[in-house]
Amino acid sequence: MTALAQLGRFGVFAAQVLWRMATPPWEISEAARHTWTVTVRCFLPVIAVVFPFGMVMALQGLQIFNLFGAQRLLSSLVSVAVFRELSPVLASVLVAAQGGSAFAAELGAMRIREEIDATVVMGIDAIRVHVVPRVIATLIAAPILNLVGSLSGICGGFVVAVYVKGEPAGIYWANLWELTAPSDIIGGAFKATIFGLLIGLIACYQGYYTTGGAAGVGRAVNATVVVGITTFIVVNYFLTSALFGAIG
Amino acid sequence: MRMFVTIGQFALFCVAVTRATLTHRPPVAASLQAAYEIGIRSLPILVIISTFVGTNLALQGYNAFKPLGGQSLVGMFVALAGVREMAPIMVAAMVAAKAGTEMASQIAVMRIQEQIDALEVMAVNPYWYLVTPRFAGILLVLPALTIISVFTLLLSSYSVSVFQLGLNGDEFLSHIQQTMSMMDFVFTSVKSIAFGAIICMVSCFYGFYSSPGATGVGAATNASVVVSAVLCSSLNYVLSELLYG
Amino acid sequence: MADPIIRLVNLHKSFGSLVVLDGVSFDIPTGETTAIIGPSGTGKSVLIKHIVGLLEPDEGQVWVGDVDMATANEKRKYEVRRRFGMLFQDGALFDSMTAGENVAFPLRYHTKLNEKQRREKAEEMMELVELPGVYDRPTSALSGGQRKRVGLARAIVLEPEIILFDEPNSGLDPLTSDTIDELIGKMKRQLGITFIVITHDIVSCVNIADHIVMLNGGKLIEHSPTQSFIRSENPFVRSFLRRNVDLDALKPL
Repeated sequence: MTALAQLGRFGVFAAQVLWRMATPPWEISEAARHTWTVTVRCFLPVIAVVFPFGMVMALQGLQIFNLFGAQRLLSSLVSVAVFRELSPVLASVLVAAQGGSAFAAELGAMRIREEIDATVVMGIDAIRVHVVPRVIATLIAAPILNLVGSLSGICGGFVVAVYVKGEPAGIYWANLWELTAPSDIIGGAFKATIFGLLIGLIACYQGYYTTGGAAGVGRAVNATVVVGITTFIVVNYFLTSALFGAIG
Repeated sequence: MRMFVTIGQFALFCVAVTRATLTHRPPVAASLQAAYEIGIRSLPILVIISTFVGTNLALQGYNAFKPLGGQSLVGMFVALAGVREMAPIMVAAMVAAKAGTEMASQIAVMRIQEQIDALEVMAVNPYWYLVTPRFAGILLVLPALTIISVFTLLLSSYSVSVFQLGLNGDEFLSHIQQTMSMMDFVFTSVKSIAFGAIICMVSCFYGFYSSPGATGVGAATNASVVVSAVLCSSLNYVLSELLYG
Repeated sequence: MADPIIRLVNLHKSFGSLVVLDGVSFDIPTGETTAIIGPSGTGKSVLIKHIVGLLEPDEGQVWVGDVDMATANEKRKYEVRRRFGMLFQDGALFDSMTAGENVAFPLRYHTKLNEKQRREKAEEMMELVELPGVYDRPTSALSGGQRKRVGLARAIVLEPEIILFDEPNSGLDPLTSDTIDELIGKMKRQLGITFIVITHDIVSCVNIADHIVMLNGGKLIEHSPTQSFIRSENPFVRSFLRRNVDLDALKPL
């Protein structure tokens, strides 16, 4: 299948999913169950990944601020970077790697075992029953995990600044909000939500159209992670430009 | 408890791979083939991602330093954050997502179709046959990928700084030159090789111990990315502290 | 022969350059069991996926009652599918649910029964397929034969007119295979359901079918009542029968 045909089919699929998300009946309990699973499964990985990123951020940031003697601004740099960029992107990468790929694998396996065909033959809307709750799950889980990631990133920065480099703890906390406005937090959360939606759509698309047995399921998972990460790094640039208006 | 069992299993797996690699003839052709495949397949995505991470770093640096009146320091920020930190971790993320998941799912499929058992019956060491070439391939190709990523990133952040943010291009370049040295390329490559080794072993490990069925392949592939991501980002801090701290 | 409930007219279907169905036409009579047999890869599964509208033909018509599934829109197809039950090769049970939840699943979407009533109905169906007391068992703990029975219970729970059965005997030992065949016979007699069965097991075919349709290379080779089928003079049918079973063993039936 050519890239263009893939893109067209993805467009149709996304439209079908979004239409069903906007119209009842909703599979609320299914959506809640999937949301819970994704959030729980990604919780520790998000902390484990964003925390060291906050540490690195503090480590490199100190080198720059030492030049100005402006070490006191370290925590504000960390918090801007974490809220705007690091946490939304990294939390989404992990939602893609952990939640999205699991959804692709589940739907792929359902396709291979003819469970999706079985649903359709029972006269039940397979997209509404199997796909929509999963897309809702990543949509809700991504911003929640973004918040978790933000907090752990800031703590990571704190650990390096205070315990490794011996900066005063009080100054770290006092300057945390120097450069960070509520709009940064909302903007980051908005980005994470968009990424969550994209992951859900990409993962379910890959799983829903799986072909070729167990190897096909592996390919679907692989494609989910690769396409997912690429898509939101690209989308991220445009969102950052638009939200945090960095023109001239 | 299960975690400790997995760690133990992983350690035994690494020992088995090391032993198989040292006691057999090195699979030169297969390793080059693996290097080529990993390199070629990861390259387009890596270039795309590096481009956009570069553009983003420029925006971020600009925003962070503007209140200090230090817009001109964007070049330095890109060199420190981008070259030293982002490039290797990005290469690692892409290799984990692309090559790592492929390794995990290929080996998992071989496991559930009993092809690995078949290898053993034919007296071909499966560790040497499946893991060694992939490991060698990743080590061969990663430094090259990292350097490509560094230059792409610098080029794209330069473009954004000059054309979108209206900064002085010469100043940007001179900051990069002041901040970076040849050692940065070496350190960056060291980091990415370390990440590559982890990704390869973790992915092959999860493939090798995949549970049966289509679900098993999916789970193995899934676990390989997440575990690689967690291990690499933690290791990244340790290496940064050792190399630059 | 009773009135046809399904009429296939000149079906053609190719996947790329591979021709799977090449002008197949036949009728399926109401309330009887039609078996579709043929070697692997002759388009049997593709054929029944056309009947339920999972695939669209390149050419030809698929009449279910007065609806042509080949040209009907999705809404009509969903209405027609309410008349069908289908059993997939490996059961296609949802792994995330228990055996009983699988059976109750269609009720959640097509009836107004509450949870307790759905459970009662599902348990009733599971008794009908002679599988009582496994409602809460996870699907992974079921044997091959049990999976097929749960699949059958799920297929009949909405009281369909037509049941499509893809390879009822694949992966089963001969004894279990026989009990599934008996179950199909019982459903047909008790519930008056039309069965369409895909198989390459000629013994089970003779046990359960009123009519046998033989496909090879995407073409219809033979379509006749069971007793005349096993006496067919068609050379392909003869060789298929000879390879599969000792003909004498079939005679007493």
